[in-house]
Amino acid sequence: MTSRPQYYTPEPYDPYADDEPQGGWFNSDGYIPSQPQGYDVPQAYEAPQAYEVPQAYEVPQGYGSPEGYDYDPRTYPYQQPADQPTFALQTVPEAEAEAEAAEPGYHVPATPEVGWDMAASRRRAWVSRAVLLFVLAVQAVLSLRLANSAFQDEALYLSAGHAELQHLLHGTPLPVNYAAYFSGSPQLYPVLAAAVDDRFGLAGARTLSLAFMLGTTALLYSFTRRLFNERAALAGAALFAVVQSTVVMGYFATYDAAAVFLLALATWIVVRTDRAPVAAVLLAAPVAVLAVGVKYASALYLPTIVVLALLTGWPHKGGKAFLRMLLLALGIGALLAAGMYGTDLLAGVRQTTTDRDHGSDGAAFLLQRSAEWGGLMFLTAVGGALSYVRRSRMNESPLAQRLGNPGWRWRALLGLLLCGTALLAPAYQVHLGTVVSLFKHVGFGLLFAAPMAGVGVTRLIGAHFRYPQLGIMLWTATLCLGISQADWRFGVWPDSAKMIQVIDSHVDRTGHYMASTPEVPVYYLREKTSQRQWQGAFAMEYTDRKGRHHVGDAGYRAALRDGAYDLIVLDGLTNPRVDTVVADALKGNAHYRLLADLPFRNSSGTGHYRIWVKTS
Amino acid sequence: MRPTKRFSRGSSARGRAALAGVLAGLLALTGCSLLGDDSGGSPRSGTGTAVPHSTASADKAVPYDVTPLLKPAKKYYGVAVPGAPTSMKSVDAYTGMTGKQPNLVEYYAGWGDGFDATGVRNAWAEGALTLMSWEPFDTPVGDIAAGRSDRYIKEYATAVRRLNLPVVIDFADEFNGQWEKWGTDHVTPAQYVAAWRHIHQTFVDAGATNVIWAWSPNIVNPVRNVKLEPYYPGDAYVDWIGLIGYFTTGSDNAFDSVFGLTRDRIRTFTKKPFLLLETAAMAGERRRADIRNLFAGVAADDDMLGFVWFNHKKRADWRLEASPLALKEFKRLAADDRFGFDVRKPS
Repeated sequence: MTSRPQYYTPEPYDPYADDEPQGGWFNSDGYIPSQPQGYDVPQAYEAPQAYEVPQAYEVPQGYGSPEGYDYDPRTYPYQQPADQPTFALQTVPEAEAEAEAAEPGYHVPATPEVGWDMAASRRRAWVSRAVLLFVLAVQAVLSLRLANSAFQDEALYLSAGHAELQHLLHGTPLPVNYAAYFSGSPQLYPVLAAAVDDRFGLAGARTLSLAFMLGTTALLYSFTRRLFNERAALAGAALFAVVQSTVVMGYFATYDAAAVFLLALATWIVVRTDRAPVAAVLLAAPVAVLAVGVKYASALYLPTIVVLALLTGWPHKGGKAFLRMLLLALGIGALLAAGMYGTDLLAGVRQTTTDRDHGSDGAAFLLQRSAEWGGLMFLTAVGGALSYVRRSRMNESPLAQRLGNPGWRWRALLGLLLCGTALLAPAYQVHLGTVVSLFKHVGFGLLFAAPMAGVGVTRLIGAHFRYPQLGIMLWTATLCLGISQADWRFGVWPDSAKMIQVIDSHVDRTGHYMASTPEVPVYYLREKTSQRQWQGAFAMEYTDRKGRHHVGDAGYRAALRDGAYDLIVLDGLTNPRVDTVVADALKGNAHYRLLADLPFRNSSGTGHYRIWVKTS
Repeated sequence: MRPTKRFSRGSSARGRAALAGVLAGLLALTGCSLLGDDSGGSPRSGTGTAVPHSTASADKAVPYDVTPLLKPAKKYYGVAVPGAPTSMKSVDAYTGMTGKQPNLVEYYAGWGDGFDATGVRNAWAEGALTLMSWEPFDTPVGDIAAGRSDRYIKEYATAVRRLNLPVVIDFADEFNGQWEKWGTDHVTPAQYVAAWRHIHQTFVDAGATNVIWAWSPNIVNPVRNVKLEPYYPGDAYVDWIGLIGYFTTGSDNAFDSVFGLTRDRIRTFTKKPFLLLETAAMAGERRRADIRNLFAGVAADDDMLGFVWFNHKKRADWRLEASPLALKEFKRLAADDRFGFDVRKPS
């Protein structure tokens, strides 16, 4: 026991105090008071008068004429002057009585509870946008520093796009029915990319992807800001911008960037229309379906978007949110059905996406890879989700303490949904047993986990930027991993520039050629050759002059014995087993002469192109 | 309530400290991998500027494509003169004498000699291809076949590849005669073929695709009983059939009489084009007629790529300058546009 008087000492504001459900809903767009009857008065506090009489909001009482405090209800309509009798600054009755008794000759204006504004303001918006711009600049630099010749997938989609473009404009027959084996519609992304490629070349087509990925990051920022706040949005965007998948997809002329952008756009529409009339959510349906059209595997993420329609609508609409979800699901379903009925893409969908040949990559390997490529960000998201379930407050301001927040069940569901989505792709690839495209699909999942990762980073940094070093370290670690993995990824395939230079003079419209990756020469030499003239290192069938049919390795041997190809290009990487078969068949083969041996260095070491030309 | 809160704050502070440690570790790891030591099994590509492809493109230029030189539209107009191509002086003198720049310069190198890249460059600078006749004086052909000279061949092949200009190589020419150390008295056809294939394969493995391989028997006229086919390494290992034959006074000087029989025999097992890899006519009354026959014979046959005039004084005086009248005739015939072209721009 102490003899000192028991003054009530205001505790420093505790940003980690448990939040009690309060009488409103706060997010970055401002404060939305909920119904007064929903307001639950905490036991420990005296309920301020103003809270019980909502009219008092209009009459700022305690402030009198606040000098030096520029409160103006016209400028800050969401500011709640009724909040003025703060608990933190509440003085003990004795002191108050003394002050009253003394009546000094000067007047101390009442101190506002906070000297800054937690609601959206123009300044905050611009600061956030500036930081976002910086994040986007970093992302662009990371993507643009990558350099290599066209990867076989890029080459394939671009050549297909050129063929489709010729088909659309001039009715030139397609060399191959691309729709039968593409994992996205050949009439969507490939045509767009080929049009850009025509004007600006491969760099142009890749820059198109960069635009898509920058757009994705910007949309991610926007919907995270609406779900949580600017800080979480910036943190989530900053992490997403530097992971391998984002950096690589941002300079990779495949339909992944377009698909992930459309998914982000659909998500953005769903989040943005949370308070709009229920039917507004239907705007997301065509975008989501277009994403699926661009890349069939995008369908994996549609359930997430549909459930998100429910979760984002729930706090504002209650039960009507279910209608919102149902409407979106029906809209997407109807459009998908129409799309499948109206096009012949189903076979392609089956072959490339759903009935894809199962590979031999083990689950442990795939999970390890997924963890390397997205693990850090995923863990941040999980941390953020857990922390969000425990405590919903997203703002240090004491005012925020009294804001209404969604209940823990809602928060848990949101966390589960967003983090769980990041696991979809790895899980599906484990099911398929293939590592092909995993890095890109990890990125698709991270788009959804990113808002939670943003929350995770803000929680890690703490209120009032207490531990900024943790956030910086986390981001730097993600950045370092992202850069090194993106560099590795972009160096997986050999630079084909010299190979193309060597074979250029040996390729014409009439020859028959064989290559480990025919897509690459078909793309680069598209002016003088077509895909029909090229045989790849997979699925060989050959009928010799006597009419005998040879399949597989025997097909290669028979074809080379007969000198069936005018040019052979092996890279030793794409299908090393077949390369060995072919190289053995070329040893001592009188038809062929080694034209060039081109060493290259790629991410997994060194290798060489070997090019043979038929001389007799 | 308070103590609990304090406790939870304490634990969260510890959690953060632990997390900071983990992150610092991770940062160190990724930082290390970024600065990367390249000694590891998988070379790191994340070394800032060292993007894999940039190191690859820093390599030398595209390998020289010799295929346009294998069967050019015009004839090779070649010469073997002392000192060339290390010094091109005698070639220049020959050009002045015959009125046409040779586009093929032959020289002789012993097995064990280094590759004369400078000579090849000198000849190339004047629009001529270099033909190197590689003669194993001191090394048994069987040893070469068995791989006892592999180090030498690899070094040689690497030097040839690095030069990246086309070079014609013929190994152990006149193998079908008994007069050479690698001739029929010392080397079996199997050894010869094995050595040829072994050398060829070593060059291919080294990526020296800029070599044109000329298999060079002596004409069969003096050694009719030696069958050529057993000595033939195979079409996969040979680009040209280089015939060595001279117009001599003791025999019929018709083109076909000199080269016809050999050509016919060789045509039974290969369709590769011919080059008269070494030829000349003995000085004397008949020389002008021999020269006429030579030019006419080469010009008439599409499968005959050209000839190399052996302008040496060796065993006999084969030099053109030895007989001014014949030289005049040679000069007249050499002016024919079908003979000679710039090898740097084969049509």
